[in-house]
Amino acid sequence: MDLTPNDDQIAFQTATADWCRDNMPLEQSRARPTGLWAEVEAMGWTAMTGAELGLDHATEALVFAELGRVLAPVALLSTAVAGRWTGVAGKVALALEAGSGVRLLDSEGATHALGLIDGAIGWFAIDDAVEAVDSLDLSSSIARIDRPAGVERIEDPRAAFHLQLLAAAFAVGCADAARDMAADYARVREQFQRPIGWFQAIKHMCADMAVRSAVARSQLYFAACALDEGDVELPFHVAAAKRLAEQSALENGGDNIQVHGGIGMTDEAYPHLCLKRAHLLKFVAPVEDAVLLAN
Amino acid sequence: MEISFSSEENHFREECRQWLEANVPSERRPHDAADAIDFDKAWQRRLFDAGWAGINWPTEYGGRGLSIVQQVIWLEEYAKAHAPWIGANFVGNNHGGPTLILNASDEQKAYHLPRILKGEAIWCQGFSEPGAGSDLAGIKTMGRVEDDEIVVNGSKIWTSFAHVADWQELVLRTEEGSQRQRGLSWAICDMHAPGITIRPIRKISGQTEFAQVFYDDVRIPIANVVGGLGNGWKIAMSTLSFERGTGFIAEQVKHGQRIEELIELARANGMIKDDRIAGSLAQMRAEVAAVRAMTYRNISEVVRLGQPGPEASVIRLFSAELGQRLERMGVLLRGGDILDFRYESGDEAVGDYLRGFAATIAGGSAQIQRDIIGERLLGLPKSR
Ligand SMILES: Cc1cc2nc3c(=O)[nH]c(=O)nc-3n(C[C@H](O)[C@H](O)[C@H](O)COP(=O)(O)OP(=O)(O)OC[C@H]3O[C@@H](n4cnc5c(N)ncnc54)[C@H](O)[C@@H]3O)c2cc1C
Repeated sequence: MDLTPNDDQIAFQTATADWCRDNMPLEQSRARPTGLWAEVEAMGWTAMTGAELGLDHATEALVFAELGRVLAPVALLSTAVAGRWTGVAGKVALALEAGSGVRLLDSEGATHALGLIDGAIGWFAIDDAVEAVDSLDLSSSIARIDRPAGVERIEDPRAAFHLQLLAAAFAVGCADAARDMAADYARVREQFQRPIGWFQAIKHMCADMAVRSAVARSQLYFAACALDEGDVELPFHVAAAKRLAEQSALENGGDNIQVHGGIGMTDEAYPHLCLKRAHLLKFVAPVEDAVLLAN
Repeated sequence: MEISFSSEENHFREECRQWLEANVPSERRPHDAADAIDFDKAWQRRLFDAGWAGINWPTEYGGRGLSIVQQVIWLEEYAKAHAPWIGANFVGNNHGGPTLILNASDEQKAYHLPRILKGEAIWCQGFSEPGAGSDLAGIKTMGRVEDDEIVVNGSKIWTSFAHVADWQELVLRTEEGSQRQRGLSWAICDMHAPGITIRPIRKISGQTEFAQVFYDDVRIPIANVVGGLGNGWKIAMSTLSFERGTGFIAEQVKHGQRIEELIELARANGMIKDDRIAGSLAQMRAEVAAVRAMTYRNISEVVRLGQPGPEASVIRLFSAELGQRLERMGVLLRGGDILDFRYESGDEAVGDYLRGFAATIAGGSAQIQRDIIGERLLGLPKSR
């Protein structure tokens, strides 16, 4: 038993964080430069989870938490799962069930889409003509299509756990980003001749954000190992990780706006980007209470 | 990263399980500290004789010299087996002993550590005073140095198990006129010494488990000071790091047992059909899992780095508040039956619920923990 990253894992994590800081910062998330996806592919993040590399899920979770922290494109989730389970190369959009239809997220330049459909991972070809518009999450476009006819299913339940785990990792990163943004602001913004972080009402709100982040991250590590090791309680642990991660992202997202005051309400400032991403992630491989209560 | 244990550790777990199955007492731990003391001492002795006391303490002082991971395995099996609460042996085992191991002289260690492990010596913690709780540096209990003795006058309060204790971790001011963190010492005080008066205090759950202690010219040999005169603040911080860190692993592990009992109870009485109840049980089950993951992470950091990482302070706060929510749910699921609770009724569900309010007060309140997290983890400006 060891729930701390080893040296190799730390190296992956640090390399991802460094690259993201220089090339894919959160501040750019609503208008990523064209060609970013090609760069991401060139850096190997999409191939990382492919069959040839066979990277362990624990390392993958660490990397995806870093990607999630900068609100990286959500199609990285579906592309990673496709890379391991379908053999489809290139960008794969994220599909979310929506009543009788399907929502496609981040579909520009994608040839296929993948998501949880009728209880299993399903994937299908998409045509170039789908018309995508802005979504709540300003980093991602959205397109609504009818339920496609030729959905290929992956019956192995580990594929769905894989998507749920990566979405949890993205949410952990998103919660961390909101926590850090709030703490950074609380250290420098002054009112009543003091940094607002001096006031306990703000300090304790930030502390609660740190607690949520730590709780979610710990369970993420446990769930990633459970997937690597084929733990008997795997469905529960991945669901718990996803539930805690999406909640921490949502609640930290809201608290971050509160800590920022008026500027937190502006389109121009960054806090709302984390909150909106958190709402999106909640719909990726959503968690049912029944799974958390199952024997 | 991995969650599997080594085969040696799995073997150890099996040993723990078998021994506990055969040895956990069938009679319940008595309700009140004064009655429970014989029970606590006898149980500690039995643990010691079978090699289950001080699992990760050095062998030269009666411990087993095993790893902290094995200590956690033991505690997990201990909770699963419904073994008795550690009770009066909490302070000695969980922070008094560890403070001595890290800071005391060889003589002090050789005398005290084996006695703690054998259940021969009960320890208590004399930190808080009527005027100094959260603000520990505000303590006033005075120790005048006279030759090779300290003559103590003052008072401590909320001292758990004081009335049944043999020894005390006593933090006092040994430099006349010193302020705040300076001029303090951490001394081993003999609770049977002349000049000590103890006034037991009853809790909201009915147990008389803590007390106010008065010191009237109590003489403590200077040889009983740990870490040197005037270094009390540093040693007290070491004690608190054990108390707030690894000292509460047993509590964290116990949540795992508790949530399963609650789900079972809600299924049995049909209340799980209420979506709000099912939803909060589901939520708490996920959180209990995360507490285990956090504990494992914390332990892994101790193993890898020699000390817990900065997030250790988060576990204590989260686990304490989660424990309170679990107990509140326990009470909710019991319906109107809780109204039949009397101090003497020994109804543990209600007793644990009431006693559990202390989890966010004792050992540093939730507010103080949030300050610490905000300041040390997030670098926010110090308010105190
Ligand atoms: C069951 C139990 C067992 C205990 N056992 C022991 C023991 O064995 N040995 C021992 O030495 N002590 C013991 N204590 C004492 C415990 O450590 C203190 O109660 C605790 O530190 C709080 O101090 P206080 O009671 O003086 O409350 P106060 O410090 O007066 O606090 C009252 C309230 O004010 C809040 N508060 C205080 N300062 C601040 C601040 N700066 N910012 C925001 N809020 C603040 C607190 O959080 C609390 O809610 C025990 C307490 C309990 C309840």
